[in-house]
Amino acid sequence: MIAFDSREKKWIPYLLFLPPLIYLIGFVGYPLIKVLQITFTSVEGKFSLENFIILTRDSTFWKAFKNTLYFLIAIVPLQVILAFLLALFINSRFKGYMTVLYVISIPLALSDVSAALMSYNIFTSHGFLNKFLMKMGFIEYPIYFFGLGLSSRAFWVIVLTELWRATPLVFIILLASLQVISKDYFEAAEVFGFNGWQKFFHITLPLTMPSLQSALLIRTLFAFQIFGVVWLLSGRDIPILAGEVYYQQAELSNFRMAATYGFIIALISIIISWFYIILLRSKHLEV
Amino acid sequence: MLKRLAAILIISLLLTSTALAQETLNFASTQMVPAAEQLFAKSVLLKGFTDEYGINVEFIPMEYPDLFTRLSAEVAAKKVTISVVGELHGGLDLMNAQSLMDDLSDVEFTDRTFIKALEDYSIIADRKVYLPWMQATFVMAVNKKALAYLPDGLTIGDVTGASEKWTYDALLNWAKKLNEGLKVPKLGFPMGPKGLWHRFLHGSIYPSFTGYQAAAFDSVRAVEMWEYLGKLKSYIHPSSTVWESMDEPLLKEEVFIAWDHTARVKNAVIEKPDDFLIVPSPRGPQGRGYITVAVGLAIPAGAPQRDKAIKLIDYLTSPAVQVKILENVGFFPTIKEAEGVIPEGALRILTNGVLAQSGAPDSVIAMIPSLGAKAGEFTAAYRDAFTKIVIEGADLKTTITSIADKLRAIFAEVGIPLL
Repeated sequence: MIAFDSREKKWIPYLLFLPPLIYLIGFVGYPLIKVLQITFTSVEGKFSLENFIILTRDSTFWKAFKNTLYFLIAIVPLQVILAFLLALFINSRFKGYMTVLYVISIPLALSDVSAALMSYNIFTSHGFLNKFLMKMGFIEYPIYFFGLGLSSRAFWVIVLTELWRATPLVFIILLASLQVISKDYFEAAEVFGFNGWQKFFHITLPLTMPSLQSALLIRTLFAFQIFGVVWLLSGRDIPILAGEVYYQQAELSNFRMAATYGFIIALISIIISWFYIILLRSKHLEV
Repeated sequence: MLKRLAAILIISLLLTSTALAQETLNFASTQMVPAAEQLFAKSVLLKGFTDEYGINVEFIPMEYPDLFTRLSAEVAAKKVTISVVGELHGGLDLMNAQSLMDDLSDVEFTDRTFIKALEDYSIIADRKVYLPWMQATFVMAVNKKALAYLPDGLTIGDVTGASEKWTYDALLNWAKKLNEGLKVPKLGFPMGPKGLWHRFLHGSIYPSFTGYQAAAFDSVRAVEMWEYLGKLKSYIHPSSTVWESMDEPLLKEEVFIAWDHTARVKNAVIEKPDDFLIVPSPRGPQGRGYITVAVGLAIPAGAPQRDKAIKLIDYLTSPAVQVKILENVGFFPTIKEAEGVIPEGALRILTNGVLAQSGAPDSVIAMIPSLGAKAGEFTAAYRDAFTKIVIEGADLKTTITSIADKLRAIFAEVGIPLL
């Protein structure tokens, strides 16, 4: 056993904290500052809002902004409702619920690229869905779900893929939260003659609110960073903010625009996080 | 005991020094970047070199902007670590302009003859910037089932032989007839994010209609071209926008006619050589436009181990290795001696198509312009024009005028003449 004197003991916490701090400064802090610097620097190298002016004058930015919002609005509420229903269903602990739990959780192990490729194989003109419908005699010719001039259909294929891929994450968070609610509350509610809805609105919902907040926050932030599935299933047919960061950086080598897009995503994410924290703060947890 | 320890120490030192003496040669390449091609480069191509000459080669696949940044930094710091560079003509031209490349006028291989056009391109401002390594082009792959739908007046001989009848109008009629017969569009292009659709726009159809890639972007001929693309759109398979390479859609018979880079249709021909034909691109009012891609091997200025680098270039441009590259990556040889070594079968089918195209008397050859960091903006301009005009229905003249201004600005900024 190593013995430390009191002076040494004072430094131990700082020494233990040092490696992650160095890592964070090097790999998060420095790039973050660099992005900020690039975002607010003009071509001439002076402090300027030029990049924002160029960006907001570009119609693709507004398209990307709108599409990202549309995805957010279409995906997040559906995901939360679906995950809540599934969590309540599993939490009823019916016979064989563990098997269903595993099946629901399978997509957790999938990357967005794998999910997008699986979705492509289902919905492409020669995919499983079209083959099935044609074999069953429902359709004579394949239905096109994405491609030239079909971005509205592709939008819903992406929503469906994201629902399948990312709902389990929200589901697991909510299920964990449901499982720690003490049965005492429900027994007391029984005594007072609460019906099922009353139990849900007065016990289940308030007690899962902190987890719901975390789930909403995570999903909203992820929805703002949605990239792989959209990129693989629609390319730039449906421009999105994160896709434009990649496009500006990797395809056009336009670091300034890529950094500006990245800054805007970060800014919106911070505003949304703040909004959720304020709006969904559980009253009973407030001091 | 001490003697034994001393002996072990000496042997260890000897082994270490031998390993150090066998220094590794760094070969940075913007080609053979996809995983399967990297595997070929490392475990077949360069392994063969190491086995033959006992020189280890580190294959470093990278994108052009990264290569340019790294070489600029290394040359400026006079600490060059890359000995050989494999890059497109355009990139090498640009790096040469920045004094990043060595003059290879003293390098000569007497046992082989490089294709003259390619060799001429490799000499820039009296400096031999690179040795032609590989070449490729863009062609059309046709499933033989499509031949039953050839439009009136067009024969398969016209198509494979690049006759005057094999025009863009003939392609439109063919695609239309296929659509009417099969009730689904059977013409495909690689319009996915990583697909080479922009090469079709600036390197094939624009030169075919206007005679230029960008110089006549908003001309009357260009208006005709965009109107033509508007008509062709109805017969293009909708999934084209997610395809990055046409070999898969061809093999799955999602399309019967596809345009793409030779390397990206090669797998279809190799897998089913009896099903496919490789044919030249069609011609337009100004001729048969197509891109020739020339890849060169160069040595950076101040590169280490120059003699070994030359040995590697010698090896990579030898006939047997050139055929091996064709077999695995689909890039065509740059030396005449390799032609006689190409075996019958899929590779012969590919080669026939390429030769028919390059031998067409109405060829309008387009080289990918050397725009460096602006290359992305250049290609994006063509893709954006297609999206705006053909997909979103924006006003044709206003759109091409504004994009033409953008293109002129790009060429002016880089300081090269408008092509």
